[in-house]
Amino acid sequence: MAIIVTLDDMLHARRMTLTELSEKIGITLANLSILKTGKARAVRFSTLDAICGALECQPGDLLAFASTPQEEEIGQSV
Amino acid sequence: MTHPETLVLSRKVLRVLIWLNLLVGVLILGLLVTSLVVGDQVMRTLTAGTPQANATLFMGMRLVALIGLCAVPIVHFILTRILAIVDTVSVGNPFVMANATRLQKIAWAVLILELSHLAVGAVAASVSTAAAPFDVNWSFSPTRWVAVLLLFVLARVFEQGAQMREELEGTV
Repeated sequence: MAIIVTLDDMLHARRMTLTELSEKIGITLANLSILKTGKARAVRFSTLDAICGALECQPGDLLAFASTPQEEEIGQSV
Repeated sequence: MTHPETLVLSRKVLRVLIWLNLLVGVLILGLLVTSLVVGDQVMRTLTAGTPQANATLFMGMRLVALIGLCAVPIVHFILTRILAIVDTVSVGNPFVMANATRLQKIAWAVLILELSHLAVGAVAASVSTAAAPFDVNWSFSPTRWVAVLLLFVLARVFEQGAQMREELEGTV
């Protein structure tokens, strides 16, 4: 079981780079990279709020739940 | 005084105290060895008569010196741990589990020192007589015992702080 971060998909859909998002919301590129690669252990509501505001999406568009290892692999490979 | 200056000063003071403690240890050891080798002269210097006349008093003095000698490594342990904590503060990461452990060890060490202080008082009281008083300027201080308690509490606070810090790590 794992939480998959689909930030990369949303960035791709919005034709935006991680650097542009970083500049737009004022969160460091390093921290956004940690979030994007699924290495973050927790996400602040303020971070979600900023990302959702910039990408015009819902928190559910950025996160997904994988109940099986297969789903997890699919989520990570996307 | 600014924060970094305080840390630099603390580090210097601690290093001096470490050396002073070791020096005191050497002096006590010297006194103890001298009392064993040339006991008569030491007793005359301390104006307490000959060892034969005040054998109990002389034994009490040796015992106090021995307790003092045992306290030297304990004090060294405390000072070096405080120095290690100060070093973590200077690198900006004091809320780590290692510091919680260090504080707890310091608390135990201070407790042992307080117990040895009680032992010194007991020895002095048992060998001291009206004819040959043995005054080590001993007094009971509740403040020091409160300090021991405070150190144990502080160790727990640091442990909680370190756990919270670990939880926060990786938060974006």
